Amino acid sequence: MLDIQLIGLLNATLQAATLLFIAALGELITEKSGILNLGVEGMIAIGAVSGFMTAINTENIYLAIIVGILSSAAFASIHALVTVLLKQDQTVSGLILTILGLALSSLMGKEYRGKKLNVKIESLSNNNEPSNFIEVLMSQNIVFYIALILMISVSYLLQNTLFGRRLQAVGEDSKAADSMGLKVNRTQFIATCIGGAFAGLSGVYLTLSYVPYWTDNMTSGRGWIALALVIFGGWKPYRTALGALLFGFLEALVPRLQTYGFDLNPYIVKITPYIITIFILVILTIYKGGRTGAPKNIGIPFFRENR
Amino acid sequence: MGNFFLSKKQNVSELSTFYSFLIGFVIALMIGTIILIIQEKNPLETFSLMFRLSLGSVNSFTSSLNKAVPLILAGLGISIINSVKFWNIGAEGQIFFGAIAVNYIYINTQVTNSTMLIFVLLISGFVGGAICILIPAITKVFFGVNEIITTLLTNYIAIGITIYLINGPWKDPGSLNFPAAEYIGEEVYLPTIFGKLSFGFIVCITFTVIAFYLKNKSIFGYELRIAGGSELTAIYAGINAKQKAFIAMLIGGGFAGLAGGIELLGQTHRLSTGISQGFGYTAIIVAAITGMRPIGIFLVGCLFGALSIGGSVIQTVGVSTYIADIIQASTLMGALISQFFFNYEIKRKENA
Repeated sequence: MLDIQLIGLLNATLQAATLLFIAALGELITEKSGILNLGVEGMIAIGAVSGFMTAINTENIYLAIIVGILSSAAFASIHALVTVLLKQDQTVSGLILTILGLALSSLMGKEYRGKKLNVKIESLSNNNEPSNFIEVLMSQNIVFYIALILMISVSYLLQNTLFGRRLQAVGEDSKAADSMGLKVNRTQFIATCIGGAFAGLSGVYLTLSYVPYWTDNMTSGRGWIALALVIFGGWKPYRTALGALLFGFLEALVPRLQTYGFDLNPYIVKITPYIITIFILVILTIYKGGRTGAPKNIGIPFFRENR
Repeated sequence: MGNFFLSKKQNVSELSTFYSFLIGFVIALMIGTIILIIQEKNPLETFSLMFRLSLGSVNSFTSSLNKAVPLILAGLGISIINSVKFWNIGAEGQIFFGAIAVNYIYINTQVTNSTMLIFVLLISGFVGGAICILIPAITKVFFGVNEIITTLLTNYIAIGITIYLINGPWKDPGSLNFPAAEYIGEEVYLPTIFGKLSFGFIVCITFTVIAFYLKNKSIFGYELRIAGGSELTAIYAGINAKQKAFIAMLIGGGFAGLAGGIELLGQTHRLSTGISQGFGYTAIIVAAITGMRPIGIFLVGCLFGALSIGGSVIQTVGVSTYIADIIQASTLMGALISQFFFNYEIKRKENA
């Protein structure tokens, strides 16, 4: 038997980590192809609102998940169009995606603010009072397990398959990849949309399970923390997962500190995750001294003529 | 696609940025029209209402100019920092920090001459913005920590500190429903010039000129461009690239902080979360769309200020205020897309 508070902490850690990890893993795939997408925050918001709207209207949770994933992937394709095909600045385009995504999701979700959700994502067991670690794991909903499967399969895909090797070749040296006959544009386009799809899944998890309701700007910086996680994880899936667990733990721990007897100001407590993110990024960058593991071609548009 | 390749055009007209902005704006208006039709609103009526309420009278026109002030100042700050190829996504937070600094100095100072006090307060706003970007600046310049993420995260921190202050130490007991700090005294209100036009707009014009001079005409601006170029060139030129980049970041943050000070002294008259409604994010669009040119930032800032005023007043007829945000962001997206056609041509391979 574990302490009830510890169970709550564990549960909240896993949930917060799942949310961050899925979005970070998607961005990792996009960045591996050499495309930087700063629109994670906006893509999560689009997935979150479209999934929530579908769930309210159809009461079909699986349809809602699929709609959320597809809308974010479609939204990410704007970034792919502008940066991959039209070679425009990736930083600017990604930022627009964030601003546009937040505005568009607020516009779409206007009628859905405060509405109650009648369906929920299923779990393996319907145990509402888990008492040990295994039961906490079992009580997580299927998105948690999807995240685990994604972590293992993406890591395998990148390391052991032709697709993964080609993706990385494109991100490391697109000119060399092109002269080897790889389809650089196509690979980058697909990788960007996959990143969007992952952010969409993260978004539906936010509105259908983590919170679950819809309100404007509810992503509250999680997309940016996911971006920081990719750096933290050195562009490796397992390390990114570890980072997500750490950040999830902090997100879960900080609001609980007061119940543990620490006398903290709740308003100050709210900003600590952002301070800690900066702090960790700084420590990590200094420690690694430039050897971050970033794909070499990240942010640089690919031109056939430069060959 | 295999038989085609992209070729960068050699002599791209300086005006291409302007043309692509116009094309982007038309595309954005079309997107806005589609959204309004989906929402079953009459687009023509809505747009003409937006136009009338933002530019139709002296009062509304001057309010639009006031709204442009934070967009322009924060946009100028972003463009100065971009001279060294760094990004400042933290203008929103710097605006809040500027306002916090102004309020702090206002509470703790003994200056009685109000002109002098306003001057001191505006400087405090500038310093507040610079303080807000201090950590991202140090970590970027000296340790290479990604400034896009750190500046962005400082937004959440600055807004969080604002919420803490207006609910805690600076809480106005009289303000029940809407947490805010106590009003500042009327002696430090920025004077209005005509209509609703605040003195802040004059400050804004002055700083546009300063930024233009700094970026394009001064030795410092030249050094910044070198510092943002290759590391070796900077070394050969004897320029301390890190020092220049660091100063540029502080100045850029200061511009946004000044905007926050002007909002507090000229518009809201008290510290609350209403100091900025996403001005720092809109400023990124304004700066990027003009290719980081100060005069362009001033003009587009004025247009976007009017759009924001138009967007906030059409709420009264049941149209979402986010329409303005969407039009602004789509303008940049449309401009980016049309930039491609100005800068590149698609050629057929000769040996194909």
